[in-house]
Amino acid sequence: MARLVGIFELPAQVAAAVKQLRGRGYTDLETYAPAPFPEVEDAVDPKPSKVRVLTLIGGLVGVVTGYAMTIWMSNDWQIMVGGKPFASIPPYTIIAFELTILFGGVLTVLGLFIFGGLPKFKIDPAYSSRFSAEDFGLVVRCREQDVAEIDALMRENDAMEVNLVES
Amino acid sequence: MTPPNDTIAGMIRPVPTPPDSQTNRDLLNVMKGTSSGYWFLLGLSLFFLHLGGAIWVYQVYKGLGIAGYAHPVFWGVYIVTFVFWIGIAHAGTLISAILYLFRAKWRNAINRGAEAMTVFAVLTAAQFLGIHVGRMWKSYFILPYPNQRGLWVNFKSPLLWDTFAISTYATISILFLYVGLIPDIAIARDRATGWKKVLYMVLALGWVGSSKQWKAHNRSVLHLSGLATPLVLSVHSVVSWDFAVALVPGWHTTIFAPYFVAGAIFSGFAMVLTLMIPIRRIFGLEAYITDYHFDNMSRFILLTSIICGYAYVAEYFISWYSGVEAEQTAFWLRAFGPYWISTWVMIICNTVLPQLLWFKKLRVNVPFLFVLSVFINIGMWFERYVIIVSSLSREHNPAVWGEFIPSWPEMGILAGSFGFFCTLFLIFLKLFPIIAIAEMKEIAIHEKVHGAEGAH
Repeated sequence: MARLVGIFELPAQVAAAVKQLRGRGYTDLETYAPAPFPEVEDAVDPKPSKVRVLTLIGGLVGVVTGYAMTIWMSNDWQIMVGGKPFASIPPYTIIAFELTILFGGVLTVLGLFIFGGLPKFKIDPAYSSRFSAEDFGLVVRCREQDVAEIDALMRENDAMEVNLVES
Repeated sequence: MTPPNDTIAGMIRPVPTPPDSQTNRDLLNVMKGTSSGYWFLLGLSLFFLHLGGAIWVYQVYKGLGIAGYAHPVFWGVYIVTFVFWIGIAHAGTLISAILYLFRAKWRNAINRGAEAMTVFAVLTAAQFLGIHVGRMWKSYFILPYPNQRGLWVNFKSPLLWDTFAISTYATISILFLYVGLIPDIAIARDRATGWKKVLYMVLALGWVGSSKQWKAHNRSVLHLSGLATPLVLSVHSVVSWDFAVALVPGWHTTIFAPYFVAGAIFSGFAMVLTLMIPIRRIFGLEAYITDYHFDNMSRFILLTSIICGYAYVAEYFISWYSGVEAEQTAFWLRAFGPYWISTWVMIICNTVLPQLLWFKKLRVNVPFLFVLSVFINIGMWFERYVIIVSSLSREHNPAVWGEFIPSWPEMGILAGSFGFFCTLFLIFLKLFPIIAIAEMKEIAIHEKVHGAEGAH
């Protein structure tokens, strides 16, 4: 197997190349971008990120924890404060609200780690510091006999360079 | 179709590295080298930090009695300073979260600095709760942890709501700052050498900007913004309820939550100006932080100043209109009683001086903005001083009225808090990009795209 890196200047060029490659059945591909560009990300995988599932779970766990903790603790050792019920929902809503945000936020970051594949201990040798400058990279894994075809396709989409890297 | 083997072999080569992009060079340059001016500022900050620390140790040794607390005022400079720093923090979240949701692109140049300011301001503020209660090492008593007495905390107390609000706010703002930093740390990692390279490799978590990573990153920032937006409004509301829930004249009012939130954003924007104006000048970032940004920030300051002014007027009107003698007296004494200087400093700095921002020329006049922002910082500290101290010293019963005079340890620890904040900020400045590089690049590449389209 060989790995080709195409280097592009503009996001639309990468997105077009990705779409054509996927159309021809090359699905083992990855892009490297210096900044977020939805057209590039959606070309690789059009499905929305699953981070939102974790945010929702975090928020729900937070709101339940907030109410459950305050209500249970108030009833575990009952102390009358200001003639109010032991478990007073209005002030406990503030605690529940804060914990909703806290748990939701923590699980959102956990979602970034899980669905973004972080932390990554081994950096792809095809990655280059150009991709943290202003260039876009498109890495395709393919059979050696397909190299010429992919090379031509990338150049058709205005790739500045196409290189092979050790895989 | 198989190309000859020598062609494939000839193509195997490392990806060549052309010269770095202009954005990277400009913005990473801030982190390079340290001038004598930087060491002077860091030294000055460390001096005040240690001064404050030493005074705190002295206070621990002698007891809270040295803090100027005297009947009936037991919330003094420490609580004032706590509210002041929490307020400062708010602009950071407003810029990074609320303006993000509104897709206000001008935030990109200032959001990193504002987020860092938020984190350091919250950390500074949180210490004051410990300093104020005296025995800081017992601070964990406020948390609902299982203990041998079987007691739990009082969830009906605003002070406990505050604990949850502040700790959530600190956590979320640290996460927000870090998530935004990851791509920029990766940029720094690719260019760093020595121990910094190791530090950035660990902190960047192996970020390469793949489509999967950017997709998850975008979504996370969006969700964190969505969560932080109600959070930032709630935090200062909860802080205001520390006062509003009490039956003290001058505190017991429903206007407090919006009034405090507006004041917080007002003071926070002023602090962003106080910090970013010198940074822009020293590191030559005029191309990134432009008149357009100053104009927008000035408009925000003007708007929130007017809201504050409205709140001041509404407070006076309602106290008169209520017919409650204690309220009327409290507000009369604010303006003409023993704390009249603080009150007029607050009114002039917060509502009169910012009116100059109606003039477009002054909105983009950087030296003027710097001076104005310092006045606003002072005015907002005095606002909290007026609210807290003047109300407590003139409660319902004139027989227990008293005076509060700030003591030197309190003022020393206040100075120490600026030392702590500035030390953290100055260290941050040299370790991490103070302007969000990836976000600036997003704009630069979009401009390139439109340039290319125009050329065709």
